[in-house]
Amino acid sequence: MSVKVDLSEFVSGFLAEADDLLALANTSLLAAEIASKHGGQSPRAVREAFRALHTIKGLSGMVGVEPVVALAHRMESLLRLADQGVTRLTPESVDLLLQGVRAIEQRVGALRDGKTVPEAPSALLGRIEAVEAGPRAPQATAASQLDLEPALLAKLAPMDRDQLLQGIAAGKHALRADFTPSPEKAAAGISITSVREQLKAHAEIVKVLPLSIAASADAPGGLSFALFLLADGPPETLASFLPGSGLLVRPLAAAPLPPELEAEVESDAAGVRPGLVRVEVSRLDDTMEKLSALIVTRYRLSRAVAELAQAGADVRALKQIMAENARQLRDLRAAVLHVRMVRLAEVLERVPLLVRGLRRNTGKQVRLVLDTGDAEVDKAVADRLFPAIVHLVRNAVDHAIESPPERRALGKPEEGVLRIVCRQRGGSQLELSITDDGRGVDRHLVAERARREVPETDAALLDLLCLPGLSTRAEATTTSGRGMGMDIVRRVAEDELGGELLLQTQPGVGTTFKLRVPLSITIVDAFTFECADQRYVVPVSMVEEILEIDPARLTRTPGAASTTSMLQRRGEALPVLQLAGLFGLDQKSPATRALVIRRGGEATGIAVHRMVGQQEVVVRPMQDSLVRVPGVTGATDLGDGKPTLVLDLAALAGVALGKEAA
Amino acid sequence: MTAVLHVVFKVAGSEYALPASDVLQMETFTGATPVPGARPWVAGVMQVRGRIVPVVDVRARFGLPAVERTLDTRVVVALHGERAVALLVDAAREVIKLDEAQIKPPPEIVAHEAQGLVKGVAQVGARIVMLLDFSKVIGEE
Repeated sequence: MSVKVDLSEFVSGFLAEADDLLALANTSLLAAEIASKHGGQSPRAVREAFRALHTIKGLSGMVGVEPVVALAHRMESLLRLADQGVTRLTPESVDLLLQGVRAIEQRVGALRDGKTVPEAPSALLGRIEAVEAGPRAPQATAASQLDLEPALLAKLAPMDRDQLLQGIAAGKHALRADFTPSPEKAAAGISITSVREQLKAHAEIVKVLPLSIAASADAPGGLSFALFLLADGPPETLASFLPGSGLLVRPLAAAPLPPELEAEVESDAAGVRPGLVRVEVSRLDDTMEKLSALIVTRYRLSRAVAELAQAGADVRALKQIMAENARQLRDLRAAVLHVRMVRLAEVLERVPLLVRGLRRNTGKQVRLVLDTGDAEVDKAVADRLFPAIVHLVRNAVDHAIESPPERRALGKPEEGVLRIVCRQRGGSQLELSITDDGRGVDRHLVAERARREVPETDAALLDLLCLPGLSTRAEATTTSGRGMGMDIVRRVAEDELGGELLLQTQPGVGTTFKLRVPLSITIVDAFTFECADQRYVVPVSMVEEILEIDPARLTRTPGAASTTSMLQRRGEALPVLQLAGLFGLDQKSPATRALVIRRGGEATGIAVHRMVGQQEVVVRPMQDSLVRVPGVTGATDLGDGKPTLVLDLAALAGVALGKEAA
Repeated sequence: MTAVLHVVFKVAGSEYALPASDVLQMETFTGATPVPGARPWVAGVMQVRGRIVPVVDVRARFGLPAVERTLDTRVVVALHGERAVALLVDAAREVIKLDEAQIKPPPEIVAHEAQGLVKGVAQVGARIVMLLDFSKVIGEE
């Protein structure tokens, strides 16, 4: 359902950069090779090569060329060790690195030709890694640089150790802070959480290890925490930030090495940020699904408690626990939703590369100003929003901003400005505006192309711009040969995200497109099925089983207008309700499947005509009182631009039961 | 006297109007998704700018028999406060200016027969145009 991003813009920017960087890597490695052949080292050449590969890694990550990322990453790590003097580059290892550069060149070439990029050669990766793990330079091994008892050192993952060592290399103070919780401290509001929070403001927390220690007056719990940090200042300063915490701060290394390589490289901002975890969205979805199951169980629990109460049992204590449990579930849900939020700054990370590519292709001068603030949106929203942003940015550079001579003639600065501003609106909406200082949308031209009257308002102009046919007509006349795709932008904003697209434009002054979208959307994995010629959707989590219905084995039950029958399921009689009957619809085609749901502990089958498929859908609420009916939780767009109802089959079955009882 | 733009549409041969400022958009009718359990005069829901909007079949709302939908059939999406509701009408193709002075309260018998759905009557040349009480039509008291 979501729109595919056209990566070609990023790619052209990437290709241009990659060529330069690969050339630099080659020359520096050749210089390093000459030095190594004479038994020496050329620190400058090593550093240059390292920086080139570091940048290549970052850029290829942005355009998603994983094989290049893998190669560059491996080569970069080896060069880093060499630069830190941990290993020495031999002619053999330089040769491996040169092979690596060639392997990257081949992959970049494939990308340029539009061919499939081959996987990273695992043999080469393995050999580079072997060199990395091989004999170390005599001065110091990585682990021994940390002044730490071996038992604790063993608890630190190699990654953590590397991070600390790299921090030291970058001129930071690697510190160990010990915190021992106690009831007194807790009463004063000092806990491991608060210490962590406060330390975060002053240092980078690499790792927190809980340690079991002998219980004493100071440590009644027999528990203490060792926090491994990278700070800008010496131990004393850090301890002073947390009075009353009894924090014991010690250095992990004698003295920091002078800041050199890492400090320079950090400004590339393409590297891995510490303290961050990359998680596959599917894992987050999985967590959310497990949480949904938990919420369903809670409903059942509360029903059981209500039944107990009805039977005369004293449930006061239970009710208290239930209330507490409800609050915790709410908090947990909020926490999980929060994990799914991504910063707009991250979402727009690739936009500068896109603009760079567009600048090269169009010969226009454009300065990009990004103001994302702290805005965050759900990952699902971000994924849908990004292609729309790409379209708008491309349009702004391709069509709106004038060429330098044209701008000069108009008395405008030669360099156009493209400004992207993100702000949260209220508690639930994001407003993202993309503003250019270009020529403005020519309403007469648009009207002519659309063969409509000249629109009076910006809103009416936007309607014309978003006509699906307009892009194809515009295509032939644009220099870049691309359609405008505004219909896609609006479709994403309105149909997929339930938001809004707005336009403000002034001839000669510029144009602003505003996207207003919800911060998060409800996405569920759902079955699609048909019943009485209508398509419906039901969340997968609500369906226990899908049974095939053999009409011959369906047992009708007595009752005048009964829509109920029974089916054998694992030796038990399963009541089956005809969905068409529940909806009062005329079912011409027989039901072939029964969706088994559980309603208050009892399994019930809902008979439908046929299953269509399974897919993720974005659920939109149906708020209007005219269409708020039991059993219908919302609607979704399966891609045809028309709403498809999302059903709560358990509620529907409940309604049916209520009707029969009445 | 101020003249106000009104959108005029046809239902069962008669003409009705709504202030243009309340109308979000008009479009050809491509079908609504029926909502089982909703009132009989709710034709279903449609998607308008990302919102799920109920469609009121104005013929059914007026208690008139259904007719075959034609190429002229339109939906007029109108706003009432936060609500957006689409009206399914036989045709809609005109915007006219109505002076306040042109609009008279409906004759009592008309008001009664129309169950309060008509709140005004305007003479436009030789034609009679009825002003809809939109809030009543969409079920608000």
